[in-house]
Amino acid sequence: MIALVVVWLLQDFFQVFTMGILIAPNVFLMSVIFMALKPRGEFENFGVFIWAAFLGGLVWDLRWTNLPGLTAAVNSAMTAAACIIWRKMPVQGRSVALFTIMTSVSMVVSGLVHFLFWTMPSQAALRQLAVQQLTGVPVIAVISLIFWRVSDRHV
Amino acid sequence: MPMMNGEQRTWLHGCISVLLGLCLLWTMTASQPIKYAALDVVNTVLYYPEKPFMELRMLLKFSSNWVLERASLNERVSQLELENRLLSEALQKASVKVPPQKAFYVPALVTLRYPEEWWQELRINKGLKDGVREGAAVTSEGSLIGRVVRLGDHYAWVELITSSSFLLAAAVDETRDLGVINGDGMGNLRLLYIPPEKVLKHGMNISTSLINDHIPPGLKIGTIIGEDELKDGYIPRRVRSNAHMTQLYNVEVFSAAAGGENR
Repeated sequence: MIALVVVWLLQDFFQVFTMGILIAPNVFLMSVIFMALKPRGEFENFGVFIWAAFLGGLVWDLRWTNLPGLTAAVNSAMTAAACIIWRKMPVQGRSVALFTIMTSVSMVVSGLVHFLFWTMPSQAALRQLAVQQLTGVPVIAVISLIFWRVSDRHV
Repeated sequence: MPMMNGEQRTWLHGCISVLLGLCLLWTMTASQPIKYAALDVVNTVLYYPEKPFMELRMLLKFSSNWVLERASLNERVSQLELENRLLSEALQKASVKVPPQKAFYVPALVTLRYPEEWWQELRINKGLKDGVREGAAVTSEGSLIGRVVRLGDHYAWVELITSSSFLLAAAVDETRDLGVINGDGMGNLRLLYIPPEKVLKHGMNISTSLINDHIPPGLKIGTIIGEDELKDGYIPRRVRSNAHMTQLYNVEVFSAAAGGENR
């Protein structure tokens, strides 16, 4: 959990640094999904991760979005969906590809939900959304690579 | 009752957390005081860990913009010096004693502007302890951009002129007609309540009229760029702000003399 706090703070510092230029991708959500799904031999209680996603999202809302509860709801919904899909998937299907797809979908959905609430001019908002999604791509690549390394080590 | 399995527990946690999030969203949207209290707590707690990054950001920004800003500031200083000299000469000719300076501007940096509230409000890094007072005019490069609506010791929230709840008495410089400036929450400005028989041309300037100690008269607001259809007995005039409302990084807060009260 300390790792998640560190990731949250890093995302916050990145947002402070790039405020007015771009909106930080939801790295915290991707990290929660990573922590929840990384192989450990048996399933833990996913509830801890769902609530961690919720709390991280709530504090993010209070700091950056002015819509307290929105990111919290989106984060916990995406984490819960990822955990349920992962659990339902046969062992052979729990691959890095599935993990990458789920983190990508989480990032896109998280960005789109916020986009619907923005009041800035539509062109600027679209540009911000596109930049946010593009900056998320290397994050997904890195986190998928780490997931692959962890999975490989675990096999 | 049989125990829930792992999948059912995950569903349960997911559903409860999403519902709680939506309830919070609804509650905070309905009750602004609770929302702002929570916002201020989080922002106060994060102020210190974020400070080095904020400073670094400002340092980089200032470094990159230094040459451009310097040129435009020099030009503005020269213009103001000229205006000041002319005014002093006029006052001397009229034998009017110049009162000592009682007001000044507090320079501030924008520390937060929510995309969801883009045209409504922003937060700056100066507050009560820096001499900022509620209701004070906030300017950018000499043009009004809003007024302080809430403040703490080291921060203040500024309601932007583009906010739909912003209403401020304003005058047309060329004709001295008085109206009210109002935003629409989407980045547009209107000058309201000018009778339809008044002829206002495109390009005429709008500035603040005398309101209170915290908003000085004669502060530039914008320029008339068009007019809407007759509504409730008056013609709303479209106004373009003189400030770059999408690029607000450094602002100034008007500060009247200590002890100044609303009239």
